[in-house]
Amino acid sequence: MTIDVAHQGGAVPASSRRRRPGLLRRIVQNRNDYAYIAPALIVMALVIAYPIYYTVELSFFKTPANLAMDQKIFVGLDNYWTILTSKSFRDVTYNTLIWTIFSTFFAYVLGLGAALALNREFVGRGVLRAVLLVPYVISAVAASYVWKWLYHSDFGVIGALSVQFGFTDRPINFLDNIYTALPAIIVVNIWKEFSFAMIMLLAGLQTVPDQLLRAAQVDGANAWQRFWHVTMPHLKGVSMVTILLLVVTNLNSFIIPWIMTGGGPAGATDIWITQIYQLAFGRIRFGLASAYSVILFIVMMLLGYFYVKALTRGDEAKSE
Amino acid sequence: MPDLLHRKNASACLHARKFLSRSAAALLATTFIASPGAGFAANVDLSKWSPDYVKSIAGTAEFDTAAECGKVVPNDYKGRLTYWWVGPTQAQPEIDHKMDAEFWAAWKKAYPNIETNAQSLDYNDMLNKVRTAALGNAAPMVAKFPILWGVEFAAKGQLSELKPEDVGYETNDFWPGAMKSVTYDGKTYGIPTNNETMGFIWNAKIFADAGLDPEKPPATWDDVVKYSKQIKDKLGVNGYGLVARQNAGNTPFRFMPQLWAYGGGALDETSAEPTYKTVELNNAGSKAALQAAYDMYVRDKSVPASALTNTQNENQNPFIAGQLAMMIAHPAEYAKMVDLASKATGADKAAAEAVVSNMRYGLLPEGPARRAVVFGGSNVHMFAPDLVEGGLDVDAARAFICFSTGPEWSTKLAWVGSNPGHLDGFTTKWMKERLDTIKFLDVTTSMLPSGIPFPVIPEQAEIMNIIVPDMLQNALTGKMTVDQAADDAAQKVQELLDGM
Repeated sequence: MTIDVAHQGGAVPASSRRRRPGLLRRIVQNRNDYAYIAPALIVMALVIAYPIYYTVELSFFKTPANLAMDQKIFVGLDNYWTILTSKSFRDVTYNTLIWTIFSTFFAYVLGLGAALALNREFVGRGVLRAVLLVPYVISAVAASYVWKWLYHSDFGVIGALSVQFGFTDRPINFLDNIYTALPAIIVVNIWKEFSFAMIMLLAGLQTVPDQLLRAAQVDGANAWQRFWHVTMPHLKGVSMVTILLLVVTNLNSFIIPWIMTGGGPAGATDIWITQIYQLAFGRIRFGLASAYSVILFIVMMLLGYFYVKALTRGDEAKSE
Repeated sequence: MPDLLHRKNASACLHARKFLSRSAAALLATTFIASPGAGFAANVDLSKWSPDYVKSIAGTAEFDTAAECGKVVPNDYKGRLTYWWVGPTQAQPEIDHKMDAEFWAAWKKAYPNIETNAQSLDYNDMLNKVRTAALGNAAPMVAKFPILWGVEFAAKGQLSELKPEDVGYETNDFWPGAMKSVTYDGKTYGIPTNNETMGFIWNAKIFADAGLDPEKPPATWDDVVKYSKQIKDKLGVNGYGLVARQNAGNTPFRFMPQLWAYGGGALDETSAEPTYKTVELNNAGSKAALQAAYDMYVRDKSVPASALTNTQNENQNPFIAGQLAMMIAHPAEYAKMVDLASKATGADKAAAEAVVSNMRYGLLPEGPARRAVVFGGSNVHMFAPDLVEGGLDVDAARAFICFSTGPEWSTKLAWVGSNPGHLDGFTTKWMKERLDTIKFLDVTTSMLPSGIPFPVIPEQAEIMNIIVPDMLQNALTGKMTVDQAADDAAQKVQELLDGM
C-alpha cells in the first residue's frame, strides 16, 4: 500500500516520494542474492514449514487410537475448545508458568552474580570459570538421572544428609510429593541453566567501559551505584536477549521433567511440552496434541518477535 | 492373506515331530483366562497343569528347527528381512545375551541367503518409533511387540493378517489367551513368541526377623498389607515393593493383579466373555484394591516412598540390599539377583548372597474374588506391505517367524524371564534344562492358569499405562480421595470408549 504523503501535509523528502519497486521486481533485481539463499530456503521449507503446516492441519482433526491417520475425522476448532476449557490445561499452564518464571529468574540472577564475580581478577578465576561451566556442558539426560538419585525419596544422598545432620526425621520426599516435586526439578533446571546466563552476561560485562566505572568512582559513586547506574544499563541488551532465550528454552523444556518425574506425581510437574508428548505418544491423540502445539507455537512466535526486536535494536538505532 | 498360505504342506511337514508333544499340547491348550467363546475350551484340561506336570513333559521331544522351517520356506531362499524388537539390555542377565547371540548365529546358518537388518530397540522407545515409522511408510517387515501393543496397529490396518498356519504351525500350538491377544475383529494378526506370568517374591530372613513364617507367603492381599506394616514397624525396612510410576508398563502389571483379586477390573476383562464395554474401575473391588494400596503408602508408610517414581528396576537394589521384603516379579528376578550378588564386592557381596539364599517364590496372593496375574508376553507381527520400507519380502518374513516362534527358540529366547509361546516348547530338552537350572520357574509357570490378559482394544495402552497409574497417583498423593480417584479414572475410561 502506498500513501500519498503529500496530501497529509508536512515536508516530505523527495526520495520518499519515489515509488518503491514491487516485491517481484525487487526479487528479480536481486536474483543473484536469492539464488544464493535458495538452497537454505528450500531445506527450511521442507523441514520447518511443512511440519508446521501439517501440525496446524492436524489440529483440526480427531485421531482416535483405532483409526489410521488417513481416516482422521475433521472436528474444526473442537480440539482448541477442548484444551482451552479443560481443567488440565489450567493446571498445566500454571505449572508451566511457575517452571518458566522461577527457572528463568533464578538462572539469570545466579548467572549475573557468577558473571560479576568472574569479571574481577583473582587467583584461580580460570579454573572456577571452567567449573561453573560444567552444568551447562553436561548432558541433560545424565544430569537428570544423577539428580534423580540425589533426590531419591528412600536412598537419596540429600535425604540421607538431612537425616544425618538432624534437619529431618526421615528422608525428604522430594519427587514423590505433589508439593515438592516441581520446586525440586526447578532447582535442577536452574543449576543446569545458570552457566548459560553467566557466559552471556560475562560477555556483556566486557563491553562496559572501564573509564565510565572509574569516572563514577571519582564522582563518589559507591559499588552499588556503579553497578546499578553504569554496569546494568550496559547489560540491558544482553540481559534482554538472555532472558528471552531462557524463557524460550524453559517453555520448551522436556528432558529434565520427563526423566525425573514423567510429569508426575499426579500431574504436579506436567508442563506444556510433557503434556503434548503425553497426548501424542501416550494417548495417541495427535489432533489434540497438535492443537496444543499450535497454541505453544503462537506463544513462542510472540517471544521470538520480541527476541528479534531486542537483537536488532542496535541496528535500528544505527540506521536512524 | 492367501499368498502367505502354504498351510497344508507346512502342517504336514511338521506333523512328525509333534508325535510326542501333540497330546501334551492339546491338554495345555486351555483358556485359562476363561473364554469359552474363543473356541479352545475343548482342549482344556486344567487338572493336569501343575509344576509336576510341567516337569513330566519337559525333555520328551526333539526338534530340528532349521530343517522344519526349511520345509515352509526353503533354506536356500534368497531375500531380505528387516526386524525390530526389544533386545537384551545391560540390565538383563548374561544368559539372555548369550541366547540372543546364539539365535542370530543359528538364523544365519539356517538361512544364509536372507540379508537381515535387525534393530534392537529400547522398550521405552520402541512403541513411538514404530508408530512414527508406520505413519511414514518406513515400518520393518517383522516386529516383536510386548503383548499390549499389537492391537493398536491391527485396528489401524497397519498389520498383515498372520496366523500360525501361515508359518507351518497350528493355532492350537499356542496358548489360547495369547492367541486372543493377537486377534482383533475376528482376524489374527500375529503369533505369540513367549508368555509369562509373575510370581510373588519374599525375603525369608526379613519375614523371620519380623516374626512371620519365613516359608509362607501372604495368602491374601489383605495379608500383604498386614505383613508390610509388621515388617516396617519391627525392622524399619520397607515391606512391599509398590510400583506406581506414570506411563510405565510396570505399574499395571503389578497393580492389576491386586485389582482383579479384589473383584475389580478396568473393563470386564475378567469375565468369561468380555465385551470390553463395561467400565469397572470404580466398582467396589477396584476401590478396595486402591484402598489397600493407599493404606500401605499413606497410612502405614510401609512401602518405598519413591513408589510414585519407581519402576520394578528401582526395587531390585533395595531387595538385594535387604531393604525390601516383598515384590512381584518375573522368574527372571532370581537370575537378576544372582547376577547382582555376583557383581557385589566386600561386605555387600556377603549380604547380597545371603539375600539370594533367602529368596523365596510363591503364588501371587488371592483376593476375595480370585487369584489373578497379568497374562503377559510378546507376539511377532508382520506389517502391511505398503507400510514397509523397501517392500515386504513375505517369504523371508515367514521363514524368520517360523524360525523364531518354534519350540526351540520360543523356549531359548525366553530363557530366564518367560515361557515358550509355542506349547511344544514345554516338551523340549531346553525346557528341562531351564527347569533344572532356574530356581522357582515352576512357580511362575503355575500362575499361568490365573492369567488374565489386558483388554484387547486399541485404547488399552492409554487405560493401562496412563489412566490406571494416574488413578493410583491421585489417591496416593492425596490429590483425591480413593473414591474420587476411582470415579475419575472410570469417567476417563468411559470417555475414551465413547470416542472422546
